[in-house]
Amino acid sequence: MNSLSTWESWAVVLALGLGTFLIRYSFIGLFANRDMPAWLSHGLKLIVPAIFAAIVASGVAISNGQFGGWALWPKYGAATIALAVALRFKGNILITVISGMVALHSLLALQRWLG
Amino acid sequence: MDGVRETLIIVPSYLPFALVCGVAAVNAGLVLPSALALPALVYGGSSQAVLTQFLQSASSLWVAVLSGLVVNLRMAVYSAAMAPRLRHLSLSRRMLGAAFLVDNAFAFMEQRRLAKPDESNDHLLAYYAGLTCVLWPAWIAFCIAGSLLGSVIPTNWQLDFAIPLAFIATLSTTVRSMPLLAAAVAGGVACVALFALPLKLGMIAACLLGLLAGLIVEKLMHPVKSISAEASPAQPKEQR
Repeated sequence: MNSLSTWESWAVVLALGLGTFLIRYSFIGLFANRDMPAWLSHGLKLIVPAIFAAIVASGVAISNGQFGGWALWPKYGAATIALAVALRFKGNILITVISGMVALHSLLALQRWLG
Repeated sequence: MDGVRETLIIVPSYLPFALVCGVAAVNAGLVLPSALALPALVYGGSSQAVLTQFLQSASSLWVAVLSGLVVNLRMAVYSAAMAPRLRHLSLSRRMLGAAFLVDNAFAFMEQRRLAKPDESNDHLLAYYAGLTCVLWPAWIAFCIAGSLLGSVIPTNWQLDFAIPLAFIATLSTTVRSMPLLAAAVAGGVACVALFALPLKLGMIAACLLGLLAGLIVEKLMHPVKSISAEASPAQPKEQR
C-alpha cells in the first residue's frame, strides 16, 4: 500500500471531481442558448439504451473484474425473470427489483444444492 | 415528492458498492479527509473505484485521474439529454442540475418521462431534485461508512445486483423500437466482450457500437428516420 501525501490526495480528488463536473455540464452549457442539432438528439436516443444495457450486462455477467461465464447462470436466470416481470408490470422498478432479488437468491440456493 | 419515495428501493443497492469504494479510497493511500470528500465531489461510483484501483497499482496519478474521467464520459450523454430541460434556468441552477447527474437519477427520469408524457418540465425537474435529495446523501454516507468501518455487509447478500435489475426495468419501457433494441443489445454485448480494454474503454466502445447498430437497423427498416412505437419485447440481452 503506497501512501500519498496530503497534497497529492487532494489533487487527484479535486481533479476527478472538477473533470467529472465539466463532463456533466458540457452539453448543458453548450446548448444553453441555442437548439441542439437534430442529428445529435437523434443519436442520443440510440446511445442511452446502449449505455443502460452495458450497465446491465456488466452487472450481470462480470464478476470480480472478469467475464463470469456459465458459473453465473443464477444471475442470467434472475435477470431474465426480472425482464419478464418488468415487461409485464410496465417497467415498475420496485416490483422488478424485488422479484429479481428473490429469483437470484432462489437460483443461488438451487446452484448450491446442485453443486 | 415522488422522487424521494421511488428512489428508496434503489438505495440499499448502493450499499455494497459504496462500502467497497469507501474502503478502497482509504486503502489506495488517500489521506482520510480527501478520501471522505471523494464521494461528495465526484459522485460516481465506477470512477471512484477506477481512480483508487489505479492509485493502488502505482501508475502515475494523472493516469488514475484520466481513467476515472474516461469512465465518466458517458455522463456527457446525460448532459446532452438534460440540456433542453435546463436551458430556461439561471446559470447557477443549470450548474446545480449538472452536478448531480448520475446513471440512476437519469434512468428514473427517463422512465418517468415515458410513464407521464404530459407532465410539465418543472414537475420532472422537481422529481429529479427529489431523487437527488435521497441518492446523493445516501451515496456519501455509505462511502464514508466504508472508509471508516470497512465492509460491514456480507457480499453474499448480493445487494448490488439490484442495480442491473433497476436498469432492466428502465430498459423494458425505454426500448420501444427495433433500432433502440439493436442499440441496447449491441451495447450490452460489446460491454462484456470488450470488458478487458485498457483504461475501461469498454463502456465507450459499447456506446459507439450501440449507436452504430441502431443506425444500421434504422437504415434497413426505413430510408426515413423514425423512432416509432413498435411493440418490441426486448430479448434477454443479458444472456449470451
